Amino acid sequence: MEPRFACTACGKCCHGLLPLTLTDAVAHAVRFPLALVWTVVRSNAKSYDLATRLGTSVRLPNRKTVAVLIQPSAYLPNHFPCPALQPDNLCGIHSDKPSRCRTMPFYPYREEKDQADLLVPRKGWECDVSAEAPVVYRNHAILDRTNFDRERAELLEQAPVMRTYADYVLKYMPWIVNDLAKMAAAPAGGKLVTSLSSFLTATRRTDARELAAAQAPLMQAMAERTRTDPALADLHKNYAGWAKEMERLAQRP
Amino acid sequence: MTSSACPCCSGLPFETCCGPILAGAPAATAEALMRSRYTAFVRHDLDHVERTHAPEIREDFNRAEAERVAEECDWQRLDVLRATEEGDEGTVEFLIHFRRDGQDMRHHERASFRRIDGQWLYSAGEVNPKGEPRRVVKVGRNEPCPCGSGKKFKACCGR
Repeated sequence: MEPRFACTACGKCCHGLLPLTLTDAVAHAVRFPLALVWTVVRSNAKSYDLATRLGTSVRLPNRKTVAVLIQPSAYLPNHFPCPALQPDNLCGIHSDKPSRCRTMPFYPYREEKDQADLLVPRKGWECDVSAEAPVVYRNHAILDRTNFDRERAELLEQAPVMRTYADYVLKYMPWIVNDLAKMAAAPAGGKLVTSLSSFLTATRRTDARELAAAQAPLMQAMAERTRTDPALADLHKNYAGWAKEMERLAQRP
Repeated sequence: MTSSACPCCSGLPFETCCGPILAGAPAATAEALMRSRYTAFVRHDLDHVERTHAPEIREDFNRAEAERVAEECDWQRLDVLRATEEGDEGTVEFLIHFRRDGQDMRHHERASFRRIDGQWLYSAGEVNPKGEPRRVVKVGRNEPCPCGSGKKFKACCGR
């Protein structure tokens, strides 16, 4: 049976962490609180080769090499809706929305032939996968691949920048390699989050001050919204700390 | 006027220890510069940290993050474990004890310093450094034996 899929605009996938292309992250810096999210891909994973091309390779203290993806992301708690999601569950920036949202439910960080299970709606999502929905994926190939190809191309294009950043972090925050090793050893993997401020420093962006000025009020607002929930204490700490960093960067002469 | 102890744990008053260096006087040794950089963090004087970076790492300094770290940490103690200098190159291995988010933490680093135009500058650091590589000194057969016996090596341990 061919997998069928249609979006019903239930808005359920518009929650939580949203990986962005670097272009989208910069374009939407006034909208999303940004962070860099690191994911370890072990050498036995299906997407390992692709991950080494989109991300970087890191040698761990145990001498194993893993691929590491570094995704510029809208850094939101899992149950927080996207700031662009409207009360009617439609996207407030539909014509201008990030690549990641356009390509859903496909995911260009995986090989094209390995997308079938992404077409099975997650618990609570209301995607239409009935016989009425159109076939979107056939013989392990995406039928309308415009958005998938666009997002993949942007990811490939930004890969050298991400590698520059990874090199910087491993040089100046070498303890991170231990966190990566822990993630590689944990069955569920895990995510590591680094700040936009270190990314801006590492990549010497000339628009750092403007990006920081856009981010400072967002980080502050998120720090406020996460202040009282003990489950979000770690996120709150990041938001509050990064708010200060963004304010300072924004004021830099 | 009472003088306060220098935050770098030298036992000297701030005014005669890190004070002048933070005010712009050149540090006499790589260790003195390292101590003054620690003191700069304690006193939230990140200008000093920024201006004592070697040119090759100046662009890599994340001032915004450093200011936040300086503020959020409760700096407790600096231990200089080893300091060596050879000409215009210096190495200082140190341990910083601090509290952050209610947790006691330690930062262990072996830092490299370079003297340019009479000014010591921080040029690199290795966090949690591995032990010094073992040095093998070759002793000539006719040299004094390193065991201290006073005999020639060939007539003593080198036999």
